[in-house]
This record gives sequence, structure tokens and C-alpha cells, in this order.
Amino acid sequence: MEPMGKVLMINYEKCTGCRLCELVCSVMHEGVSNPSRSRIKIMKWESEGLYIPMSCQQCQDAPCIAVCPVKAISRDETLDFLKVDYDICIGCRACVSACPFGAMSFDVIAKKVIKCDLCDGEPQCVRFCEIEALEYVDADRVSVFKKKEAAQRLSLAQKEAAALQAEM
Amino acid sequence: MAIDTEKLSGAESLRKTRTYGKVRCHNPSCMGRLQPRSGDDHVKCPTCGMEYRLVWVRPDFPRIRGPVWDVNRRLAQEVLAKKAAKKEGK
Amino acid sequence: MALNRKIAYIDLSTGKVETKPIPLEVRKKFLGGRGLDAYLLFNHTEKGIDPLGPKNTLMVSAGILTATCASATARTHIMAKSPLTDLLGSANMGGFFAPELAWAGFHHLVIKGKAEKPIYLWIHNGEIELRDASQLWGKTTTETQWAIREELGDEDIKSAVIGPAGENLVRIANVMTGIKNAAGRSGMGAVMGSKNLKAIAVRGTMDIKIAYPLEALEYNKRFIDQIVSAKVNQTQGTLGTPFIWGATNSWGGIRTRNFQYNQCEYADDIEPERIDEICTETMGPYHMTGCFGCQVHCRAQYRIPSGPYAGKYDEGPEYTSQGAFGGEPDCKNAVTVLTGNHLVDQWGMDNLETGSLISWAMELSEEGILTSKDIDGLDLRFGNDEALLEMIRRIAFREGWLGDTLAEGGIRAAEKIGKDSFEYLIQVKGMSNLHSDERATPALALGIATGSRGSDHLRSRPAIDLYHLPEEVLRKIYSNPVPYDGPLSSEHTSYVGKPWQVLWQELCYMGVDCLGICKYHTTFLGATLPNFEDWAKVIYYNTGLEITPTDIWTVAERCYNIERLFNLREGLTRDDPKKGDTLNHRYFDEPCRRGAPDVIGSKIDRKKFKKMIDEYYEHHGWDENGVPREETLKRLGLDKEPSHLL
Ligand code: SF4
Ligand code: SF4
Ligand code: SF4
Repeated sequence: MEPMGKVLMINYEKCTGCRLCELVCSVMHEGVSNPSRSRIKIMKWESEGLYIPMSCQQCQDAPCIAVCPVKAISRDETLDFLKVDYDICIGCRACVSACPFGAMSFDVIAKKVIKCDLCDGEPQCVRFCEIEALEYVDADRVSVFKKKEAAQRLSLAQKEAAALQAEM
Repeated sequence: MAIDTEKLSGAESLRKTRTYGKVRCHNPSCMGRLQPRSGDDHVKCPTCGMEYRLVWVRPDFPRIRGPVWDVNRRLAQEVLAKKAAKKEGK
Repeated sequence: MALNRKIAYIDLSTGKVETKPIPLEVRKKFLGGRGLDAYLLFNHTEKGIDPLGPKNTLMVSAGILTATCASATARTHIMAKSPLTDLLGSANMGGFFAPELAWAGFHHLVIKGKAEKPIYLWIHNGEIELRDASQLWGKTTTETQWAIREELGDEDIKSAVIGPAGENLVRIANVMTGIKNAAGRSGMGAVMGSKNLKAIAVRGTMDIKIAYPLEALEYNKRFIDQIVSAKVNQTQGTLGTPFIWGATNSWGGIRTRNFQYNQCEYADDIEPERIDEICTETMGPYHMTGCFGCQVHCRAQYRIPSGPYAGKYDEGPEYTSQGAFGGEPDCKNAVTVLTGNHLVDQWGMDNLETGSLISWAMELSEEGILTSKDIDGLDLRFGNDEALLEMIRRIAFREGWLGDTLAEGGIRAAEKIGKDSFEYLIQVKGMSNLHSDERATPALALGIATGSRGSDHLRSRPAIDLYHLPEEVLRKIYSNPVPYDGPLSSEHTSYVGKPWQVLWQELCYMGVDCLGICKYHTTFLGATLPNFEDWAKVIYYNTGLEITPTDIWTVAERCYNIERLFNLREGLTRDDPKKGDTLNHRYFDEPCRRGAPDVIGSKIDRKKFKKMIDEYYEHHGWDENGVPREETLKRLGLDKEPSHLL
């Protein structure tokens, strides 16, 4: 068990918008193909070619936990994700309105709220995303990766600026 | 139904034959395997003499960008002239 | 059972809609997608109807695997009698439309009649509604799609639409979805236009049942590994299809100046790497995108870097656009290719047909067959980028004498232009050839000559012939799933064994088209990609249908024969230069003027070509006129067509 807990890291720049993740998520959890029942969803701005995968952030101070009137949502100790106990859940959808990311959805066919459960530690969306727009990494590594990428962009920008100055 | 998951299909079994790090000469009857040095921007086919400009998809994955126009054009014209001469000679 | 899916019949004249389940019997005979469409077309049209009249029937379909847990099942198939060729009209597109249609409850649509005024279909979770489209008429393909989303208030709606070209009944108009996915060939957009059908909008949240979900998931992983490990697909995923153009041009297989040359020399500005640079500059390093569920992601994103359309976003250009707006008209500018691509996408026209016809016209004006009066003052010569782009517009809007004439498609245009213009038209069965030159590759030449929708590289193209694979490898591929012990040759210049390869590829492509999978995921450009054997497993895990690789082969044969029957009924005869299994005489008479040493000087040998056709017919069980023999039809259960099972 990883003591840190791993998280789903999204590199939206890489996403090709193929929605295979939506497909496999619904097959894994519901045994059917139906992206409207997937825990992950790709938001698209097609006229600009921009695709952004949205899924649960497993927030530390989670609004869904706070808002749930019957305390059906709790943190899984081993995998460090938020799970819904369907024996307790009354389907009021308060969590759906509270989630700032829209990551808590309502499955109209099963009539229940659904959210990412990290596939019990083997995220299928990550497994199928060849381009690695989705990765499953240790929580403390995420910001390191992002820092590095940002730093690289910065250094490139500085090089360009220097080159421009030199030309002037 | 008898679906043998373990068994490789015909197409799958052909995957063994794949090689990396090489390109094949674009001259269809030559198709010689060329092995450029990593990073080279240029390769000449030792068999038929055609020359190509290279790009690297990955450090281990070279690709022919296109012909070196002058060289390959000359080679083709020479072959054509020979063919024509042979015909006339007959 | 997981295969419980529906077909809808929609009569636009009366507004009547009828839905039915697709019986398992029919599935077993035709699977779905293109195959079942062909059956429906044969059964739902009468001989000799006007393709642009209300009696033509339009089929829109998803494959049997569409929206299941298999890779890249994104393809939509569209079929009708073609207004371009008056034979089989058939076109296929990727994107996200077909799976959405499936989640909306339908796998096949049969659209008949003609609406009184512009309408669009709204298909949503099992319901079908005809809606007014007067506010959409005149809009471009993307404008139409966004307007429908706005009107219905759902961003997830996917639509198959026509642009102005389809409305104007331009016979080379296509049907489009998304930014650039096009069911391009054979004028299906004009058929929609003739029915006053501007768009088909779909949105669904219904389940597609998977027979064995976990097994399907696992097998899909293996299937995808097989697909993405192919070098050809890794290259596609970086450079997109332009890489094919680059490689082909390198040895001399690219039509240039209509058909004057077979190589576009010094065309460095439209080389795949150059186009990739522009995509990177305008869209960043991660500029590849793809169709539903596809891990190849062969489609680039770009913005036009300069010129009158600077800043416009589009996708592609596919290698067809490189050929159509680059090589053929000899306009060697990336910006021209990107702009031409954008214009045909927006107005809804087949890029390949558009570029081919314009290049033909350029040659005709060079030869003095078209005078400056005919071309309304345009300086229509090879290498004139501006004239090319202007001509695209004139065709889409049928402007000027030549615009209106080319909008009629090659054969009708040749009749109007007269003189010997037809001799310069590079077509088969009335459909323009791809920008490729097959004079050095008999197998490829046979493939385009016999294609059921006319000249086409996606009906049968034994492209792996060019790899000079060892004979035993070729045999391994081509004697599966049915044995073949006839001759085979690894030589691309040879005529030996090619008819069998053409037939094999034909049935392989029919197979993928029935499944609804993309052709880059089968034996097309790579020898290690999935085909019959692999499909039997995917079909089983996903739909529960027990089918052997040989069964799929037989289904493909059956479907191909139905297409043949349709064409014969509509007037195909073997040697007809306009409707036959023939090639333009230049393939036989003019040797290649450029290319690699063994390509320069080559042309197709008439006698050997004739022999290939004979052999090809024989493999199919057709007589010397290309008509299926009685016993062939019996064997395939087609002796009582039309049988009206659906
Ligand atoms: S599988 Fe990956 S590339 Fe495809 S939509 Fe999901 S995140 Fe994007
Ligand atoms: S980790 Fe599993 S549950 Fe979460 S979005 Fe991915 S596939 Fe769905
Ligand atoms: S390979 Fe290209 S065309 Fe085929 S499904 Fe993938 S993205 Fe679409």
C-alpha cells in the first residue's frame, strides 16, 4: 500500500479527445458502453480543438462530504479516495450540486450518484490512455511534474526573449 | 465457443519481424534496409545509390523525409537512358 | 442478447417514422455498417431511379461493433445511389457521430422521400423528430452543427450535416461531422440536399450492452497494443496521413499536373514534416487528435498561418488534400493546401474530387480545350494557387459556366465541355482517382479499376505490396482465413497473383466497414494489424455473436456481391470507359516520366491487365463479363434478391 496515496493526474494538453477513457470506465463499472455513466468526462471546445478530461479530485476538504445529510461519503483509508456507501446514500443529489468540478454525477439509468473510485487502485482510464493524458501517480509528485513543465516553458520563454533582445 | 485467447492470430505473430532504427530505401525494387547513425540528417542507399533526407520521430526511430532531389533525379534519368539505348540496340 | 439493436425507416415526404429490431438472421448474413447498407440499398431502390429524386434511398449506419468496447469503432457509413456515378454511392467517415447514433438507440437509418422544405432529423434516446431547418439553410458545415447544439441546448449533440455544396446539389458534395470528418466520396451530400435534409442530429444516453464486459475490456487492451505497436501507426500518430504522401512522392507515385507527371518534385513546402511544423507552431506540441476510442490519433490540428483565411482553425490536412490541392494542380505551398482543405470542409465537398477536377480543367485549359471564355476570365493554369482556391468556391456555389459544369462531376462535365476532354479525365466509373499514380504498381491499378464505388483506394488497396515482404509472409497474410495456394509475387511491378491480393483486400475492407472500424486498424498500410481472425474474437466478446473468421469472409463476399449486383443492375459493363472496370487510356499509353529508377518509364500493360481482370473475376466466381455466376449467388444465398428481410 502506498502511504502517500496516489492520484489521477490529468495532463489536459495531451488529451486527443478520443473518449476511450469514458468508454472503458462505463464498461468497467456498469458492464455496458455508455459514456453518460462514466466517472470521467471529456469537456470539449471543438471549434478550437481543446479537450479537457474532468474527473474527481478526491478533495482533502471535500464539499460532497460536507454537504451529504446522511454521511454516505467517506474517505477510503488505503487508496485515499472518496467513496459513496450506497447502503446509506438516499440519492438526494446534494453532492452533485456541491461538487465544484461536476465530478459527482447522477446516473439516470441506475438512479444513483456516481464518482471516480480509482477502479480499486487500477484505474482503467489510465491503462487505456496510450498518450498518457491520464496518469496515476503519487500525490506528492503531481506538483513536481507541473513545476518542471512550467519551469521548462519559462526557460524557453526566457531564451526567446534573449534571442529577441539580441536581434534588436 | 472455442475462442483461444492464448493463441496469437496470424497478424499478431508477424510482429516479431519488426525492426527499429532502420529505414527502407524508397526505391521500390531496392527496399534495402538502411541503418543511419542516430541523428544523421541524410542517408545514402549502399545498394542503389539513392539518397534521402532524414528526420527522427524518436531517437531510435528514423524516417525518410524525402529524396535528395538532384541526386535521385539524375540516377533515374540515367537508368531511363540505358533502358532506351537497350531498346534501340535490339 | 447484446445484439438487440434497431433500424429506423424515415419517410421525409410523409413524415412517417417506423422502427424495428434488426433480426439476428440478418446480422449473421450482413453483420452491419456498409454490408447491411448494401443489402438495404438493393432492396429499397428501383432500377434506373434519379439519384437526386425522391425515389433514391439514403442509408446511414453504424457498424456492428460501433460503441462497443473495441478500438476505433467510430465509422459511420452512408449509402445511396450516387448522383456522381449513377452507380453505387458509398462513403464512410470517422468522428463521433456513429457511436452517438448507437447510444441514441439506432444502428441503421433508411431515409426515403423528400421533405417539402428544409428539415433536419433530431434523434434522441429512441425518438426521431423532423424539425424545421430553414434557419440552418446556407450555413457552413460547422456553423450548422453549432447552431443545432444551441437550438436544442445540448453541447454533446453530434450531427452529420451538409454544407452549401450539398444544398446546391453539387454532385461531389459530401456529408460531414465535426470539424473535418467527411463521408466524402460519391456525392452523398447532394443526395441529402435533394431530400431537403440539412442535418441528422443525434444524442443518446442509452446503454450498449456488452456480452462479456471484462473479457471485452481485456481483449481490447490486447487489440490496441497490436494497433499502436505498428510502426506505421506510430508515424500516423505523429504526422498523420500526410506521411503517406511523403513516402509515395519519394518513389514517384503521386499524380502531378493532373496526370502529366508521377512525382511532385521539390515540393518541400508540402512535405509531411513541414505541415507538422505548421501544426506545432499554431497548435502546440500536442496537436494530434482522433476519432472516438482511437489510440492512433492520426488527425492533426492546425490554424492557417497566413493568407486570406489566416487564423482559421481546422483539422487535417489528410494526404488527399496534399494531393488534391498540392501535387495535382502543382501548387507546392503548404498554406494553399491548408486553405483548400479548410474551404472544402466548410462548404462540404469531397476534397479529392474537387482537386482532381480542377487539375483536369487546368490541363484542359493548357491544351486549349477550355478557352478563357469558358473559364470566365480566370487564369486557370497549373501552379496558380489563387485560381485553384477561387475555383473551389465557384464549384461549391455553382458560379460561372465552369463552376457550374464541374459541379456536375467529371463525366457530365466532359459531355458539356466536349472535344476530347474525356480523354484527360482520370476516373473510373465516373469517380476521380486519388492523387496517386498506379502505373508502376499493377496490383494498385487493378484495385482502383475494380472498386465497387468507382476509382478508390479504400475499396481494395494491397498497399503492403510495396514493402516487398518475403513471399512466405505474403502467403501467411493472403491465405488466411481461406486457403490460397495460387501464385504470389513480392514484386510490386509484377502482375502475378495480384488479382487474389486485390480480392483479399477487398473483402478485408468490406469486413472493417461492416464492423465499423477504421482502416488504419487493419491490414492496409501495416502487415501486423488485425484482420479476420482477430475480429472474430472482438465480435464474440462484445456482441456474443459466435462467428468464425471464415464466416466473416463469407459475409464480406456476400456484401461485395450485393454491391456488384446493384452496379450491374444500374448498367455496369466490363469494358465501358464510363461505367466499367477500366482505367483511363493514359495508364496504358503514357509511361511515367519521373520517379525511382524502376518506376520511371513504367506503364500498365494492356494484355496483362486484361488477364488480371479475368483472373480477378474467376476468383470471385463471376463470368468473363463480371457477372456473378448462378452457383456463386446460390452459395452466398443471394439467388433470390431482393429478398426484403428488412
Ligand atoms: S483516453 Fe486519454 S486521450 Fe482519450 S479522451 Fe481520455 S484522456 Fe483524452
Ligand atoms: S479511475 Fe476508474 S473510476 Fe476513475 S475515472 Fe478512471 S476509469 Fe473511471
Ligand atoms: S486512425 Fe485516424 S481516422 Fe482512424 S479512427 Fe484513428 S483517428 Fe480516426
